[in-house]
Amino acid sequence: MKKTAASIFAICCLLSGKAALAHHSFSAEYDADIPVEIVGKVTEMKWSNPHGWIYLDVEDENGNVVNWAMETSAANSLIRRGWRKADLPPGTVLVINGWQARSGPGTGNIRSVTFEDGTRLFAGSGPSGSED
Amino acid sequence: MNSRSCPGLVLLLSLLVQIFPAVSANAQNLPRTESGMPDLQGIWMVGNSAFANIEDHGARYGLPAGLGVVEGGALPYRPEALVQRDANFASRAVSDPYNRCFFPGVPRIMYLDFPFQIFQTDENVAITFEWNQVFRLIYTNGEPALYDGIESWMGNSRGRWEGDELIVTVKDFNDRSWLDSSGNFHSTAMQLTERYRMLDADTIEYEVTVEDPEVFTRPWVMRMNLHRQTDRERLLEYQCQAELSELNGDFERDERTWYPAPPQPGIAAFDADAVLDLPLPEPTGEIRRLPDGTPDISGYFSARSGGANYGLEKKVGGGGAPPTQGVIIDPPEVILPYQDWARVEADDRYLPHRGYDDPTAHCFVAGVPRSHYVPSPFHILQVDGFVVVLHERMSWRHIDMNRSQHLVDNIRLWMGDSIGHWEGDTLVVRSSNFNGKTWLNEAGDVLTHAQSVVETFTPVSDTEIIYRATVSDPLAYTRPWTIEMPFIRADDDELLEVACLEDNNDLQHLRDVRDEYRAAQAQEN
Repeated sequence: MKKTAASIFAICCLLSGKAALAHHSFSAEYDADIPVEIVGKVTEMKWSNPHGWIYLDVEDENGNVVNWAMETSAANSLIRRGWRKADLPPGTVLVINGWQARSGPGTGNIRSVTFEDGTRLFAGSGPSGSED
Repeated sequence: MNSRSCPGLVLLLSLLVQIFPAVSANAQNLPRTESGMPDLQGIWMVGNSAFANIEDHGARYGLPAGLGVVEGGALPYRPEALVQRDANFASRAVSDPYNRCFFPGVPRIMYLDFPFQIFQTDENVAITFEWNQVFRLIYTNGEPALYDGIESWMGNSRGRWEGDELIVTVKDFNDRSWLDSSGNFHSTAMQLTERYRMLDADTIEYEVTVEDPEVFTRPWVMRMNLHRQTDRERLLEYQCQAELSELNGDFERDERTWYPAPPQPGIAAFDADAVLDLPLPEPTGEIRRLPDGTPDISGYFSARSGGANYGLEKKVGGGGAPPTQGVIIDPPEVILPYQDWARVEADDRYLPHRGYDDPTAHCFVAGVPRSHYVPSPFHILQVDGFVVVLHERMSWRHIDMNRSQHLVDNIRLWMGDSIGHWEGDTLVVRSSNFNGKTWLNEAGDVLTHAQSVVETFTPVSDTEIIYRATVSDPLAYTRPWTIEMPFIRADDDELLEVACLEDNNDLQHLRDVRDEYRAAQAQEN
């Protein structure tokens, strides 16, 4: 159920064509052929430029917890969309769709972020096209 | 004034001069803006040793001795904060953020051993620093901060004039910058009140009150003089990050593009003024004007660039690369007129293993024209003698409206040397003296040190400037070429801070991809 909701939001965000406040080549760092969907608890949000980062504890099928680092667009872009630090406290459960880093699992670039109830948070910094 | 016609007034004035000699003499002699405020504009530097230590201090390695600038002597630290300061001092070689070229913060940026320039309008005071092309944009228009409570290295500055004194309050700091090179520090609770008092035409008294109840037991004050740099014609560049990276072997020289390059016989300069042969854009509405009739192109802008930062030519995208709209308007084929070697190089830079080489991935400044279409806004100020562009991606351009000659050829800059003038309602800017270290975009389009640029800024309505740039680079191209894009004004937005290097996690990832590729290549060979 959760997965379905996340997928729907991923499509909506992709079509909206927002995002891409990149300062480096997306294709150099991420693999557009490896989409990922992860569900996890926020451990930290790095509110930074040139890109922000959401760190999440993600449990795999065997019960092992891995801390994923997922890249957002620049903090300034998030601020201009109305988001503030307090909006994403540790412990928040998120569903994140994106692309895996070329370096392997554990790092990725965000396409869409949704809360457990399906509310969309914001698009990331991926290769979806035009800048803000 | 005729003393015989009004002897009482003369007597009163002479009495006042005796009572307040300094004030009255100085107030009369100060340079003033058209609005009557003291004119703080010009190039300034402190020239004391506060950058080493704001308290009284003996010399240490790399730090000259000097008297303190803190009123009353020692800083009123809380006991636990003093322990932290001493630990900072002991580990300063590695823990001082300045040594890694991070933002110095305010007030430290004001007393570095580097000059800075002040620009002043009724709405803003802008301070541009030679050090790493940092700037401060101080709003003096009475408007409250749009982005309140966003922590940053340089804080949020709002100013007001009280008589002849500029008072600036600065808050919303992070807790990562230091107050000097000796470990004196602050918390996120720090609030500053800066006072700029012009003592004479060449001296500004700079006073800062520091309030930080988490670190200090009471507010405290430091004071020093800013001196006009009469022997400096203009600011140059100190690109701390780029210079440190090059020194560390982390930013590698490209013999084909960097200055100085081996002599290239038979290379003739192009006609860089080709852009002026194109018919200029027609206005679509009323444009803003200054009182003297000059177009007013000041304010907050962002480029509608069609993804130019990912490619100047039209591309459909794919494989992780975004589509680009294409911004080339000349040559008519709307592709870059590359020489063969440069097209091969651009194609190679497009591959993942070259992503690390893009200077903006290292957070170096983007150069010209790229600074205008990296996806970040910019703020334009128009003052007597200059058009100043402050790029949110932390760099500035001074477009000198009075100079007629470019810098000597062997001074090379990331942002080039820009000279402008108005032709009708179009600002024409010619730039040269580039260093050949920048890329045109993430796709790796090529520029060399032979680059020169002619730009036109044509306001066509209240909210839109049509921007064109003709790039002439006879080392990489077969002819000049021109791009065009609109800049859109937004009166309801403000610049934020981009501390790019400070939290740049991407660079290591990009380096890993490159190193993996190089290792595979080495194994194949």
